Amino acid sequence: MEANIALVERTLAVFFGVVVFVVAAIALKNDWKSEGIENQVFKLMLGLLALGAVLGILAAFGVLIGKGVA
Amino acid sequence: MAVASVAHQPDQLYVETRELRIQGFLLFMVSDLVLFSSFIFAYLYLRNSGQGWPAGGPKLDIALAALNSIVLFGSGATMHFALENWKHGNFSKFANWIVMTIILGAGFLSGQVMEYIHIGARWSDGIFGASFYTLTGMHGLHVFAGIIYLTVLLLQALQGKYTFTKYTGLTLGTLYWHFVDVIWVVLFSIFYLL
Repeated sequence: MEANIALVERTLAVFFGVVVFVVAAIALKNDWKSEGIENQVFKLMLGLLALGAVLGILAAFGVLIGKGVA
Repeated sequence: MAVASVAHQPDQLYVETRELRIQGFLLFMVSDLVLFSSFIFAYLYLRNSGQGWPAGGPKLDIALAALNSIVLFGSGATMHFALENWKHGNFSKFANWIVMTIILGAGFLSGQVMEYIHIGARWSDGIFGASFYTLTGMHGLHVFAGIIYLTVLLLQALQGKYTFTKYTGLTLGTLYWHFVDVIWVVLFSIFYLL
Protein backbone atom coordinates (compact mmCIF):
# COMPACT_ATOMS: atom_id res chain seq x y z
CA MET A 1 0.00 0.00 0.00
CA GLU A 2 2.75 2.45 1.01
CA ALA A 3 4.73 1.45 -2.07
CA ASN A 4 1.71 2.22 -4.26
CA ILE A 5 1.27 5.64 -2.64
CA ALA A 6 4.96 6.37 -3.16
CA LEU A 7 4.69 5.33 -6.82
CA VAL A 8 1.72 7.65 -7.35
CA GLU A 9 3.60 10.49 -5.62
CA ARG A 10 6.68 9.91 -7.78
CA THR A 11 4.63 9.74 -10.98
CA LEU A 12 2.78 12.96 -10.16
CA ALA A 13 6.04 14.65 -9.18
CA VAL A 14 7.66 13.71 -12.51
CA PHE A 15 4.64 14.73 -14.60
CA PHE A 16 4.06 18.08 -12.93
CA GLY A 17 7.80 18.64 -12.60
CA VAL A 18 8.11 18.52 -16.38
CA VAL A 19 5.15 20.91 -16.69
CA VAL A 20 6.70 23.37 -14.21
CA PHE A 21 10.10 23.16 -15.93
CA VAL A 22 8.62 23.84 -19.37
CA VAL A 23 6.48 26.72 -18.06
CA ALA A 24 9.43 28.28 -16.19
CA ALA A 25 11.70 27.90 -19.23
CA ILE A 26 9.13 29.50 -21.57
CA ALA A 27 8.48 32.34 -19.09
CA LEU A 28 12.23 32.90 -18.81
CA LYS A 29 12.57 33.00 -22.60
CA ASN A 30 9.69 35.47 -22.93
CA ASP A 31 11.07 37.72 -20.17
CA TRP A 32 14.67 37.50 -21.33
CA LYS A 33 14.77 40.93 -22.94
CA SER A 34 12.68 42.71 -20.32
CA GLU A 35 14.36 45.49 -18.36
CA GLY A 36 14.02 46.91 -14.87
CA ILE A 37 15.41 45.69 -11.57
CA GLU A 38 12.40 43.52 -10.70
CA ASN A 39 12.56 41.74 -14.06
CA GLN A 40 16.23 40.90 -13.50
CA VAL A 41 15.25 39.28 -10.19
CA PHE A 42 12.32 37.53 -11.86
CA LYS A 43 14.65 36.04 -14.45
CA LEU A 44 17.03 34.77 -11.77
CA MET A 45 14.16 33.27 -9.81
CA LEU A 46 12.54 31.65 -12.85
CA GLY A 47 15.90 30.04 -13.62
CA LEU A 48 16.14 28.71 -10.09
CA LEU A 49 12.52 27.54 -10.29
CA ALA A 50 13.38 25.53 -13.41
CA LEU A 51 16.41 24.12 -11.59
CA GLY A 52 14.16 23.17 -8.65
CA ALA A 53 11.80 21.37 -11.01
CA VAL A 54 14.71 19.38 -12.44
CA LEU A 55 15.90 18.47 -8.94
CA GLY A 56 12.36 17.38 -8.02
CA ILE A 57 12.16 15.18 -11.12
CA LEU A 58 15.55 13.60 -10.44
CA ALA A 59 14.58 12.98 -6.81
CA ALA A 60 11.30 11.38 -7.90
CA PHE A 61 13.22 9.11 -10.29
CA GLY A 62 15.55 8.17 -7.46
CA VAL A 63 18.60 9.54 -9.27
CA LEU A 64 19.37 12.07 -6.53
CA ILE A 65 18.76 10.79 -3.02
CA GLY A 66 20.42 12.00 0.17
CA LYS A 67 21.77 9.90 3.05
CA GLY A 68 18.86 10.15 5.45
CA VAL A 69 16.15 9.57 2.87
CA ALA A 70 13.90 6.55 2.38
CA MET B 1 -0.76 73.36 -19.30
CA ALA B 2 -0.47 73.85 -15.55
CA VAL B 3 -3.65 71.87 -14.98
CA ALA B 4 -2.32 69.01 -17.08
CA SER B 5 0.90 69.08 -15.11
CA VAL B 6 -0.96 68.87 -11.79
CA ALA B 7 -3.16 66.09 -13.13
CA HIS B 8 -0.08 64.03 -13.99
CA GLN B 9 1.69 64.60 -10.69
CA PRO B 10 0.50 61.36 -9.04
CA ASP B 11 1.70 59.37 -12.05
CA GLN B 12 5.11 61.03 -11.91
CA LEU B 13 5.32 60.40 -8.20
CA TYR B 14 4.41 56.78 -8.81
CA VAL B 15 7.08 56.39 -11.49
CA GLU B 16 9.71 58.10 -9.35
CA THR B 17 9.00 56.07 -6.21
CA ARG B 18 8.29 52.73 -7.87
CA GLU B 19 11.95 51.81 -8.30
CA LEU B 20 12.68 52.87 -4.71
CA ARG B 21 9.87 50.72 -3.34
CA ILE B 22 11.07 47.72 -5.30
CA GLN B 23 14.64 48.27 -4.12
CA GLY B 24 13.43 48.55 -0.52
CA PHE B 25 11.56 45.29 -0.86
CA LEU B 26 14.60 43.61 -2.40
CA LEU B 27 16.63 44.75 0.62
CA PHE B 28 14.04 43.12 2.88
CA MET B 29 14.39 39.91 0.86
CA VAL B 30 18.17 40.07 1.18
CA SER B 31 17.85 40.42 4.96
CA ASP B 32 15.55 37.38 4.97
CA LEU B 33 18.08 35.54 2.82
CA VAL B 34 20.77 36.29 5.42
CA LEU B 35 18.52 34.83 8.13
CA PHE B 36 17.99 31.61 6.15
CA SER B 37 21.66 31.46 5.17
CA SER B 38 22.83 31.61 8.77
CA PHE B 39 20.63 28.64 9.70
CA ILE B 40 21.55 26.73 6.54
CA PHE B 41 25.28 27.16 7.14
CA ALA B 42 24.86 26.20 10.80
CA TYR B 43 23.10 23.01 9.66
CA LEU B 44 25.79 22.21 7.08
CA TYR B 45 28.56 22.87 9.61
CA LEU B 46 26.96 20.56 12.17
CA ARG B 47 26.29 17.94 9.54
CA ASN B 48 29.91 17.90 8.43
CA SER B 49 31.46 18.07 11.88
CA GLY B 50 32.11 14.33 12.01
CA GLN B 51 29.20 13.10 14.12
CA GLY B 52 28.34 10.23 11.75
CA TRP B 53 25.42 12.23 10.44
CA PRO B 54 22.60 11.16 10.20
CA ALA B 55 23.12 7.58 11.38
CA GLY B 56 20.08 6.28 13.23
CA GLY B 57 18.14 9.38 12.37
CA PRO B 58 14.68 9.52 10.85
CA LYS B 59 14.14 8.54 7.24
CA LEU B 60 12.66 11.34 5.18
CA ASP B 61 10.05 10.44 2.56
CA ILE B 62 11.60 11.46 -0.78
CA ALA B 63 8.49 10.69 -2.85
CA LEU B 64 6.27 12.94 -0.74
CA ALA B 65 8.95 15.63 -0.58
CA ALA B 66 9.47 15.58 -4.36
CA LEU B 67 5.75 15.92 -5.02
CA ASN B 68 5.39 18.60 -2.36
CA SER B 69 8.31 20.53 -3.83
CA ILE B 70 6.79 20.40 -7.30
CA VAL B 71 3.52 21.71 -5.82
CA LEU B 72 5.38 24.73 -4.43
CA PHE B 73 7.38 25.29 -7.63
CA GLY B 74 4.12 25.02 -9.56
CA SER B 75 2.68 27.77 -7.39
CA GLY B 76 5.60 29.96 -8.50
CA ALA B 77 4.56 29.38 -12.12
CA THR B 78 0.89 30.17 -11.40
CA MET B 79 1.90 33.38 -9.59
CA HIS B 80 3.94 34.37 -12.62
CA PHE B 81 0.85 33.80 -14.80
CA ALA B 82 -1.22 35.90 -12.39
CA LEU B 83 1.10 38.89 -12.72
CA GLU B 84 1.42 38.48 -16.50
CA ASN B 85 -2.38 38.46 -16.86
CA TRP B 86 -2.63 41.60 -14.73
CA LYS B 87 -0.05 43.30 -16.96
CA HIS B 88 -2.19 42.39 -19.98
CA GLY B 89 -5.35 43.73 -18.33
CA ASN B 90 -7.07 40.40 -17.83
CA PHE B 91 -8.51 40.63 -14.32
CA SER B 92 -10.52 37.40 -14.26
CA LYS B 93 -7.52 35.28 -15.30
CA PHE B 94 -5.37 37.14 -12.79
CA ALA B 95 -7.85 36.27 -10.04
CA ASN B 96 -8.00 32.61 -11.13
CA TRP B 97 -4.23 32.22 -11.16
CA ILE B 98 -3.68 33.93 -7.82
CA VAL B 99 -6.38 31.75 -6.23
CA MET B 100 -4.63 28.72 -7.73
CA THR B 101 -1.37 29.96 -6.21
CA ILE B 102 -2.99 30.25 -2.79
CA ILE B 103 -4.46 26.74 -3.10
CA LEU B 104 -1.10 25.27 -4.12
CA GLY B 105 0.61 27.11 -1.23
CA ALA B 106 -1.94 25.64 1.18
CA GLY B 107 -1.36 22.24 -0.45
CA PHE B 108 2.36 22.56 0.18
CA LEU B 109 1.75 23.38 3.85
CA SER B 110 -0.55 20.36 4.14
CA GLY B 111 2.18 18.16 2.67
CA GLN B 112 4.63 19.62 5.15
CA VAL B 113 2.31 18.77 8.03
CA MET B 114 2.01 15.19 6.68
CA GLU B 115 5.79 14.99 6.56
CA TYR B 116 6.00 16.17 10.19
CA ILE B 117 3.47 13.54 11.27
CA HIS B 118 5.23 10.65 9.53
CA ILE B 119 8.85 11.63 10.07
CA GLY B 120 8.93 10.05 13.53
CA ALA B 121 11.31 12.61 14.99
CA ARG B 122 10.90 15.53 17.35
CA TRP B 123 12.56 18.87 17.67
CA SER B 124 14.31 17.68 20.84
CA ASP B 125 15.61 14.42 19.32
CA GLY B 126 18.96 15.82 18.34
CA ILE B 127 20.75 18.14 15.98
CA PHE B 128 18.98 16.78 12.93
CA GLY B 129 15.49 17.21 14.40
CA ALA B 130 16.32 20.71 15.62
CA SER B 131 17.78 21.75 12.26
CA PHE B 132 15.05 20.16 10.18
CA TYR B 133 12.17 21.61 12.15
CA THR B 134 13.77 25.03 12.53
CA LEU B 135 14.54 25.49 8.84
CA THR B 136 11.45 23.85 7.35
CA GLY B 137 9.28 25.44 10.04
CA MET B 138 10.71 28.88 9.34
CA HIS B 139 10.13 28.33 5.64
CA GLY B 140 6.59 27.07 6.32
CA LEU B 141 5.95 30.24 8.29
CA HIS B 142 7.05 32.26 5.28
CA VAL B 143 4.70 30.27 3.04
CA PHE B 144 1.86 30.86 5.50
CA ALA B 145 2.65 34.59 5.56
CA GLY B 146 2.78 34.50 1.76
CA ILE B 147 -0.69 32.95 1.57
CA ILE B 148 -2.05 35.76 3.75
CA TYR B 149 -0.10 38.32 1.69
CA LEU B 150 -1.51 37.03 -1.61
CA THR B 151 -5.02 36.90 -0.16
CA VAL B 152 -4.70 40.55 0.89
CA LEU B 153 -3.38 41.47 -2.57
CA LEU B 154 -6.33 39.71 -4.21
CA LEU B 155 -8.79 41.55 -1.95
CA GLN B 156 -7.06 44.87 -2.67
CA ALA B 157 -7.21 44.15 -6.40
CA LEU B 158 -10.92 43.36 -6.08
CA GLN B 159 -11.39 46.70 -4.30
CA GLY B 160 -9.67 48.51 -7.15
CA LYS B 161 -6.51 49.49 -5.29
CA TYR B 162 -4.39 48.55 -8.30
CA THR B 163 -4.82 49.56 -11.91
CA PHE B 164 -3.38 47.92 -14.99
CA THR B 165 -0.64 50.56 -15.05
CA LYS B 166 -0.03 50.86 -11.29
CA TYR B 167 0.54 47.48 -9.68
CA THR B 168 3.79 47.66 -7.72
CA GLY B 169 2.15 45.80 -4.81
CA LEU B 170 1.37 42.86 -7.06
CA THR B 171 4.92 42.85 -8.39
CA LEU B 172 6.29 42.78 -4.84
CA GLY B 173 3.91 39.96 -3.90
CA THR B 174 5.15 37.94 -6.87
CA LEU B 175 8.76 38.63 -5.90
CA TYR B 176 8.06 37.42 -2.36
CA TRP B 177 6.39 34.24 -3.58
CA HIS B 178 9.28 33.45 -5.95
CA PHE B 179 11.68 34.08 -3.06
CA VAL B 180 9.83 31.51 -0.92
CA ASP B 181 10.05 29.04 -3.84
CA VAL B 182 13.77 29.58 -4.32
CA ILE B 183 14.51 29.13 -0.62
CA TRP B 184 12.75 25.76 -0.83
CA VAL B 185 15.00 24.72 -3.74
CA VAL B 186 17.94 25.10 -1.32
CA LEU B 187 16.21 23.44 1.65
CA PHE B 188 14.97 20.54 -0.50
CA SER B 189 18.50 20.03 -1.78
CA ILE B 190 20.26 20.05 1.58
CA PHE B 191 17.74 17.91 3.46
CA TYR B 192 16.66 15.43 0.80
CA LEU B 193 19.34 15.33 -1.87
CA LEU B 194 22.66 15.65 0.03
